[in-house]
Amino acid sequence: MKGRGLNIALAAYVALIFAFVFAPIVFSLIFSFNSQRFPTIPLGEFSTEWYVKIFNDPDVWQAVRNSLIVSSSTAVLATTLGFCTAYTDFRYNFRFKGPYLALILLPPTIPLIIMALAMLAWLSRIGMSGQLWSIILAHSVLTAPFAMAIIRLRLHQMDPDLEAAAWNLGGTEWQTMRHVILPFCAPAIVSALCLTAAVSFDEFAVAWFVSGLNKTVPIVILEIVQGNIDPTVNAIGTFVFLTSMTLVILAQVIFISRQIKSHS
Amino acid sequence: MTDTHKTKAKHMLRRDVLRIGGGVVLSAPFVSRAWAQTTEINMLAWYGHGEPDIVGAFEEANNVKFVPKYYAGGDNMLALIAQSPPGTYDVILSDAEFVQQLNLAGYIEELDANDYPFDDMLHEDFTKFPGHWDGDTLFSMMVRCGHLGVSYNTTAMSAEEASSYNGFWKPELEGKVGHFDWHLPNLGMMSLLNGNGAGLWDLSDDQWAAVQEKTMSLRPQAGGFFDYGGTFNGLKNGEMLAMCGIGDWITGALERDGAPVASVIPAEGGIQWTESYCIGKGTDKADIVKSFIQYMLSPEGQVKSAQMLAYPGFAITKAGRALLQEVDPAEANRSHQIDGMENEPIALINEGRIHYRDIPQQQTLEDWNDFWSEYKNA
Amino acid sequence: MALRGHAPIQGGNGLSGRRRIDIYALTWRLPIILWQLLFFVGPVIFMIVISFYVVKNYRMTEAFEFVNWQRMLTRGFFWDSYWYTLFIASISATVAMCLAFPAAWTLAFRASEAQRRWAVFLLIIPFFTSYLVRTFSWYVILAESGVLNAVLGYIGLGPFRMLNSHFGTIVGYLTLTLPLAVILQTVTMANIDKTLVEAARNLGCKPLATIWRVVLPLSKTGFIVAALFCFILAFGDFVAPFYLGGSQEPTLPILILDTTKSGQQWPRAAVVAIMMMLTLFTVAFAAIALAYRKPKGAKT
Repeated sequence: MKGRGLNIALAAYVALIFAFVFAPIVFSLIFSFNSQRFPTIPLGEFSTEWYVKIFNDPDVWQAVRNSLIVSSSTAVLATTLGFCTAYTDFRYNFRFKGPYLALILLPPTIPLIIMALAMLAWLSRIGMSGQLWSIILAHSVLTAPFAMAIIRLRLHQMDPDLEAAAWNLGGTEWQTMRHVILPFCAPAIVSALCLTAAVSFDEFAVAWFVSGLNKTVPIVILEIVQGNIDPTVNAIGTFVFLTSMTLVILAQVIFISRQIKSHS
Repeated sequence: MTDTHKTKAKHMLRRDVLRIGGGVVLSAPFVSRAWAQTTEINMLAWYGHGEPDIVGAFEEANNVKFVPKYYAGGDNMLALIAQSPPGTYDVILSDAEFVQQLNLAGYIEELDANDYPFDDMLHEDFTKFPGHWDGDTLFSMMVRCGHLGVSYNTTAMSAEEASSYNGFWKPELEGKVGHFDWHLPNLGMMSLLNGNGAGLWDLSDDQWAAVQEKTMSLRPQAGGFFDYGGTFNGLKNGEMLAMCGIGDWITGALERDGAPVASVIPAEGGIQWTESYCIGKGTDKADIVKSFIQYMLSPEGQVKSAQMLAYPGFAITKAGRALLQEVDPAEANRSHQIDGMENEPIALINEGRIHYRDIPQQQTLEDWNDFWSEYKNA
Repeated sequence: MALRGHAPIQGGNGLSGRRRIDIYALTWRLPIILWQLLFFVGPVIFMIVISFYVVKNYRMTEAFEFVNWQRMLTRGFFWDSYWYTLFIASISATVAMCLAFPAAWTLAFRASEAQRRWAVFLLIIPFFTSYLVRTFSWYVILAESGVLNAVLGYIGLGPFRMLNSHFGTIVGYLTLTLPLAVILQTVTMANIDKTLVEAARNLGCKPLATIWRVVLPLSKTGFIVAALFCFILAFGDFVAPFYLGGSQEPTLPILILDTTKSGQQWPRAAVVAIMMMLTLFTVAFAAIALAYRKPKGAKT
């Protein structure tokens, strides 16, 4: 049937897209187990030496710890800021609304390396450079626009009368926020948290400049790539990938269990 | 109510997983290096200089720990120092050309020349290396060097063809000649090809125009512009069959890995890169840094430097070279660091075939860099 | 009466109407102002100020000179890079949106809720793996002696030169933007009012025409936002044109990095950055205005 043929073609197309997206990751995984220092085909022997090397390197573990702290803090901060701004944009009209929006939407338009230098210079002057906090501050500024855009998109789909209806039924603004708006935005908030954490997790330009002597995982990777290229990058990349796969699967499981709970 | 039991169990499971997982990540190997009471030394350097193969022995003997910040390119280094509070970095490893800039900008401390083995240098030039001194005051101590020339894939080019920079124009190499993405060594090589010899950095307007013309004629051959990682990959997987602007520091590491590449110093001459240590201004650990620099100039340190895993370099002291020949004759052989050998580096310098890398004299770095951008856009 | 997409209602507690400091509104409005002023506006103003500084003895010295602007904007290679970056970023955004559409459509209209959720979650994963590492993996796949050419060789095609070319740059940009494009398009289309689509089909609209005249207009906002993200990411990316494109040709981010190698010429690099910022700023605001504009003739 034409319908079924079309379905198969579409499914194959989706598979192709996924193949494109995941091919580099899969290859990175393969080469992380390859004994050769510079991957070419045909492959060398199976070897776990690169994993051994990174597991034994306390700097890498410190970097992982730093990355987790930085990205989760950034996610929370950025999403909060993004939500505040999205809600303000959705609900209010005020005189300087244009510049107000510009304030949050501008950061992605600025090339990272210049932003990086400017942030370092600025943060040094106010005495806040060279620490993990410096990275968190910088990243929250960079990622808040994404959070704002996602939540704003979701609010755009909400019927604005909903809020007014809640007020008419006797709810205060705060209650309405808590019981109507936040639950409606929940998926967008979760997405914003994930996306901002992800962007922060992989950002290296700003991080290199403002972090002083602290390292995050992308900084470690950058150093290896620019100074001593070997498959430890693949090992690190694969390790990060497997960790995030696990987190995603966990999130799905929790989500499904919550669905089941709400339906039973 | 079975529901609450189930959800409770799920909550606990989730909490446990998060807790255990978090615990594993947060507590995992800090075990390797004992950090009790050790002094931390902040190092700003090219990759590899703070790794165990170089500093491990010194760290153990002196109860210190090096905390390295690696940069890729002297300009990033300078920008970082410029914006960091003074005293952030205790020891700085820098290319010789950047030492001048570090000094002019006031980021490094004076050194006492008597502390270092100037009488054991393999070449007289090393005792008074340009840019390291301000009159009679020493600011920076040279620690290693290497030579740049024609780097090529041995299956695509013969050693004879590579013995001249003209080899880059070989028709079969169209689109296969890579450039290390930095104007200085590339344009220096073109300058040598034009016969400017020892005056390769000191170009009159005519000479500069000639260099630009020569470089532009190479554009059809150029396949891309690469940094460290890109260069390695390009040479290894055969995308690029020749590279302009690099030398043994890259091909040596690739050779160790079994790739069919080599570097030679062509007839027109080669360029020397030089790395030096400085003490950061405002540091409170000047003494221990000084003893570290002395260590790196000792025979043991020189051998470590020559064998560095990240990229190889030459030993610059007689005692260092002697120890290298004793301890690692294969490497000494490979890098021609044996007196009397063909292509022995000091002999090459003496023959006038090696020129120290320097910044352009009559043009500004901006001029050269602008031309380089033009070249890339052509 | 449904007031979809109308102008936002005025703030304040509508029931009481007293003039007082609206704590509720301020709570949402203030944080971003304070935060951004401190940590964003500061650095940006500083960056603009830097562009007027002069570099003496490899140190930036405070000054107010136009020499950096004059020098940079009169350079041929600057405008070459500028138009090329604009061009290649637009192409890559278009390609990303087009490639993403069939997949997103399938996920939005043919997949189940669970499948869609899985797909979106899976597509978020690449964001958690290093972009640099993924870029390097492409070397082995796209090299002339690489996997793709080997496979094509079996069918008797090639070998093609894929790295160090415009193709390589686009592949790099897609690595960065394709997952995002698919996610945003899927989420947008999954949330449009399906009854409208059904109504169109019932009225006899052919499938492709339905997409063109019903689905796309309804998804306009989300699609423009998605395209904008793809453009911005590609425009500002350094990794793809440098590592996979071999700087053939160099884009503006590469130029910024290059300029810093001219002996600490951060002021001139700031000039390039400001030009990039102005361009993106203009594009972003034009796009957002377009995205959230009410269609003409719609009942408010």
